[in-house]
Amino acid sequence: MSVINLLRPVTVTEIPENHFVVVHPLDDVPEQKVNSSGLGAMRMTTSVKLSLMSLRGYLILMMLLVLYHVMDLAGVFGSHAH
Amino acid sequence: MANEILSISTAGAEATLPPVRGRVVRSRWLFGVLTFLTVFGPGLIVMEADNDAGAVSTYVQAGAQYGTRLLWILLLLLPVTYFIQEMVVRLGIATGKGHATMIYQRFGRWWGMFSLVDLQLVNFLTLVTEFAAISLALSHMNISPTVGVPLAAVVLITMVLSGSYRRWERVTVFLCLLDLGWIAIALKVRPSFGEVFHNTIVPGIPQGGLTASLTFLVIAIVGTTIAPWQLFFQQSCIADKRLRFSDLKWARLDTFLGAVFTIVVAGCMMLAGNAAKIHGVSFFDPAQMANDLHIFSGGFVRSAMLLLMINAAVLGTTAISLSSAWAYGEVKGWPHSLEMPIRKAPGFYLTYVLCVGLAAAIVLIPGAPLQLIILGVQVLAGIMLPSAIIFLQLLLNDKEVLGQQFVNRPWNNWVNWTIIIVLFILSLILAAQVAAPNLFPAS
Repeated sequence: MSVINLLRPVTVTEIPENHFVVVHPLDDVPEQKVNSSGLGAMRMTTSVKLSLMSLRGYLILMMLLVLYHVMDLAGVFGSHAH
Repeated sequence: MANEILSISTAGAEATLPPVRGRVVRSRWLFGVLTFLTVFGPGLIVMEADNDAGAVSTYVQAGAQYGTRLLWILLLLLPVTYFIQEMVVRLGIATGKGHATMIYQRFGRWWGMFSLVDLQLVNFLTLVTEFAAISLALSHMNISPTVGVPLAAVVLITMVLSGSYRRWERVTVFLCLLDLGWIAIALKVRPSFGEVFHNTIVPGIPQGGLTASLTFLVIAIVGTTIAPWQLFFQQSCIADKRLRFSDLKWARLDTFLGAVFTIVVAGCMMLAGNAAKIHGVSFFDPAQMANDLHIFSGGFVRSAMLLLMINAAVLGTTAISLSSAWAYGEVKGWPHSLEMPIRKAPGFYLTYVLCVGLAAAIVLIPGAPLQLIILGVQVLAGIMLPSAIIFLQLLLNDKEVLGQQFVNRPWNNWVNWTIIIVLFILSLILAAQVAAPNLFPAS
């Protein structure tokens, strides 16, 4: 039996003793996943707060760098900058 | 999970079950191999699609400037890229939802919108660079970009419109495997294998020391190996493929093999650049280098490099556009699956088509500001990557959602926080260099 044939699914209704059925995830019955929709926002523990605060600081710094670049391009710092 | 139940039920007597599409096998070993093959795909695709046009340019440039001396960085990046994507695998399999949905649900509308807008922007600009690379390679093959670029866009759009996830995945995996051609190129340019082996496992600084240009090239290598869209793409891909809890170990293996394959291919790209260094060929872009190199290495290397450049851009484009379409569909609450026909998920497919179509159109505009776009990609990626990884790390410590089974272990957290801090510093240096080059001394 070729590999291609092995991968081609057929309709299975009975499994002989000591056999296994390989089912492609898309052909399988959808399973119940962990439910996150009813939980709302994440609890603000110290580590979460600290992480988000660092992220905000990082983003502000990045924005300042971009602003500096735009002002530099606009010649605000004079020609010596180039 | 259903899979697991089926296999248990066969251990004893013969079992009857509701009709299911599958394959009955006797050997446990074959059961494992076939299950892996059904799960295989998202890990390889996410990794290899990251070897896109920008990556080809970066790795080849690294080889052309520094020979094999930076190969060790790739080896170092192998566990880094695997650990990050492994977290995505766990989150995707546990929740069955995309990354954008999870950020919206757990961090609120502001962070959700920030991540989405940033992702869409950086993705779109990256797509423009992918088409710019296609255009460049085509013009070196004497094919007019005005014909070739729209044709590439049509092929890319056709790839997803079949309404079958499996069909898209097979085509994309095939494109990934075409990258084996880089190994053939590396063998053809005959590097010194002793030197390659030595420089892969022994870290070292190239002659000339740690200059500013070397620092930024190293940062660019790190930045091109780990991209923000990868987190969104693989999680959505896993959700679309409906991977089950029992598939986790196979999805991890898929991701690991994908990481190894990608790093090997990236190393081969460096070796192609190394050939240019050895023969004294100057590097301006990979297409020009392939052209100039053909005097020394033959027509095969030239043609293969140009074709693989196009392949890299096509792979990058399909994955990046899908990550945009999935993320947007998730946040808008639209149906968003490659398993759905166009009429059932029009918004999802329209987003994909717009991403591909607009990026291709921009490249065809004469005098489009491509250099500005490349700078924009670098700055936005610098902003996006650390924030996306922070959210990922926090989500993987979210016991309320994941429970004890899927959350990070303490060693995971140590490894991941170290990676995050290093990425923060590198992204900041790169963005600072791009945004404010005058702050840095010339090398």
